[in-house]
Amino acid sequence: MSETATTELPFRERLRENPRPALLWVGVLGVLLALEIGAITSVAITVMSGLAGAVASAVAMVVGGPVVPSIGGAIDGALTSAAHVADGLPTLLSRDVIPNQGYQTPDGTWHGTFLGLEPKYAWLLRVVMVYAYMFALLWWCWRGYRLYVRHYRFADWTPRDDMVDRLRTHRWGQFGFVVVLLFVGMALFAPTVSPTPADQNIYHTSQYEVQYYDADSESVETIAVLDANLDTASRGAGTTNIGPWQYDQYDRFHPFGTMPNPGQDLFTFMAYGARISLAIGLIAIGVSVVLAGGFAMLTAYYKGLVDLSVVFVSDSIQSLPGILLLLLVVAVFQSHWLWEIYNGGLLLALAFGVVYWPGLWRAVRGPALQVAEQEWVDAAKSYGQRSMTTMRKHMLPYLLSYLLIYGSMSLGGVIIGIAGLSFLGLGIDPPTPEWGRAIDTGQDYVTTPAWHISLLPGILIVIVVTGFNALGDGIRDAMDPESEGEDASAGATATGGGA
Amino acid sequence: MSRWQYFFRRLVLSVPVVFFAMSLVFLVIRAGPRDPVAAALGQNQNPEIAHRMRVQLGIINPDGTPVPLWEQYIDFMAGLVTFSFGQTWVINRGAAVLDLIIARAPITIWLGFWSVLIALLIGIPLGFYAGLRPNTFPDYFASFGGIVWRAMPNFWLAIILSSVLVSSEGLTEDLIGVPLSWSNFLVETDVIGTASLANLGDPTALIAATKWILPPAIVLGSASMGNEMRIGRTAVLETINSDYVETARAKGLGRRMIVWKHVFRNALIPLVPVISSEAFVLIGGSVLVETVFAINGLGKLTFDAVKQGDLALAGGLLFVFAIFLQVVNILQDLLYTLIDPRIGYDQS
Repeated sequence: MSETATTELPFRERLRENPRPALLWVGVLGVLLALEIGAITSVAITVMSGLAGAVASAVAMVVGGPVVPSIGGAIDGALTSAAHVADGLPTLLSRDVIPNQGYQTPDGTWHGTFLGLEPKYAWLLRVVMVYAYMFALLWWCWRGYRLYVRHYRFADWTPRDDMVDRLRTHRWGQFGFVVVLLFVGMALFAPTVSPTPADQNIYHTSQYEVQYYDADSESVETIAVLDANLDTASRGAGTTNIGPWQYDQYDRFHPFGTMPNPGQDLFTFMAYGARISLAIGLIAIGVSVVLAGGFAMLTAYYKGLVDLSVVFVSDSIQSLPGILLLLLVVAVFQSHWLWEIYNGGLLLALAFGVVYWPGLWRAVRGPALQVAEQEWVDAAKSYGQRSMTTMRKHMLPYLLSYLLIYGSMSLGGVIIGIAGLSFLGLGIDPPTPEWGRAIDTGQDYVTTPAWHISLLPGILIVIVVTGFNALGDGIRDAMDPESEGEDASAGATATGGGA
Repeated sequence: MSRWQYFFRRLVLSVPVVFFAMSLVFLVIRAGPRDPVAAALGQNQNPEIAHRMRVQLGIINPDGTPVPLWEQYIDFMAGLVTFSFGQTWVINRGAAVLDLIIARAPITIWLGFWSVLIALLIGIPLGFYAGLRPNTFPDYFASFGGIVWRAMPNFWLAIILSSVLVSSEGLTEDLIGVPLSWSNFLVETDVIGTASLANLGDPTALIAATKWILPPAIVLGSASMGNEMRIGRTAVLETINSDYVETARAKGLGRRMIVWKHVFRNALIPLVPVISSEAFVLIGGSVLVETVFAINGLGKLTFDAVKQGDLALAGGLLFVFAIFLQVVNILQDLLYTLIDPRIGYDQS
């Protein structure tokens, strides 16, 4: 944006001239962020430790030897202590501030929950607050953009304004945007929106206890989460089945019901599963966008042999059904060190990226060829600009919007793909939660009272994928109102076909 | 360039594509981190069998010396080209891969045939119907249905549908009070499992085989059905608003005539690539759908081969699929040029 004003005062100067609106905005933003500083740092640390794990494994692969464990251990230790610090940071919307696990004494009062509310309402309050916070933060960012346009942007009008205007009236795209936000919120705030923490409910169930009121002994008892989970697992037939929106006998509230063995809370499983899906989806799309965008520019710029060889490679990858290729890669790499990272997540993401880029490249090849024909590219060439610079400065900005459209549309496809692989037992390793595995474990219970185990995750996938498709449609219509190109985008739109 | 030259060039170009794709598969299978023999035989392997298997796969010579990778590659590719894929070691020890593929193929073809048919017969008419009545309730209903239908993961749909059909008797009794059993409908069949395709000439057997394949075919066809609906709708809308339809209307041609002669034919053109891309969905989806419905077809065979480490079988299957998909692609291009002569062969 600041390039538009090179002849006038630079952005910094304009800021100095009229600092009040900006300062106010930054101040409120700071307050908003400070409210959730604990959650934000813990997400950052989760991401960092994932990265560190990847790096450590890669180093271990290259160097080998005994040096590595100590380095890995040091990084791990640092991150763990950082995580403890993050846990200590104040967070307004955390589980500790609004607890939803307690017990009910016979007089009907609740103990241990937020303000003595019923766990249902305590949990709902927390979820509503989290989303309210998220939308408030986004709205504030949007205000920041408006503020910038009004006070600090030199140009009265840029093409981006039209895009924004078109998006503001695009109901279908907005629907997609909201759905995607809900999904992303679920993933980012998984520890807060889930009724119980993953560590307590999935990984180390025997190390935690819950308190409940025992009617027989008429006193408050404790039981290990492991045993409580086993007692409240949904197995369809028989006595134990905790459906959606029900309490179990230990006074725990399950918004989506419980799963069969070993009986975790389904909502917790889904929330943490959303994290995995989103992380893998973003990495995979990132990889394929980089590959597709890079190749598109190279082929459009150099044409000839370069173009032909990329056509050749992409056709070859596309001549095999994607899911079969992924199956093969997963099966072959199952005991490889790459598989260790993120329970196979990184390898899956890379494999998806490699399988998806040809489709993406096909989609942006046309626009890339178009932009390569433009006069400004010719002019840059004749001025003797380096080819890399030309591509980056004069071709990439034009391609980015297309990459964004097709990328957002393919993300839903990756989510379906991972779920499909997990469903087949070849995706993310248990116990790490993954939506496809939830569908798989509920397979035998669809027509029993425990129908929710398969049905709810599937419905969630449909909604999320529809949301990503809608968002892609919205972005496309906003960027290029002329292209009612349904047939052009249909190839990129995620479908449940699994191919 | 003439139509036939173009066709010929497509044909020739597809050879190196398949070749390169199979090289990728070779890289994953042989140069990848997993030893195909260890993968197939597991932990407690009999050294003698392992040795025989290595020799048969061409990884070592009979005297125990390893075969260099490039020689393995040549052997592997030569085996594919001559359709001698070797033997399976896990799924059906000792059987020839090709025999196994041929034995399993009919069921998958039967499944694929019905999925395409269902997708075409429901998707295209619905899309055209919606396109002829834009912005009405049926249009919104069809469009939205198509969008949601398309986003459904087919393995999930398969689970729901199969479970509902398996217990249809109890469910209908609970819901409407009349027990209706899908298994006993018309002829008695199982929902899950593989039916016989033995004598399709016999009407009862034909009905049984068709009824048995319908649920998985609906699931498999559903994803592309949504696409066809959407694109059919857009195509009809576009042709209806085009100049020549306007002209035809101005000439006083009847609506029925316009729709049948001018709109439908032209609206079919954008559907060609969608129909042919169904082939990919069919093969990829058949892995999941056949697994859920326990159909012993190529999809399930692929899954079993991959999961149990029968990499020779997996390689052979991928080769067959790659060839099939190339054939479909070439047919699509040919069909394109036949339907719409304006589509140039000069464009690269």
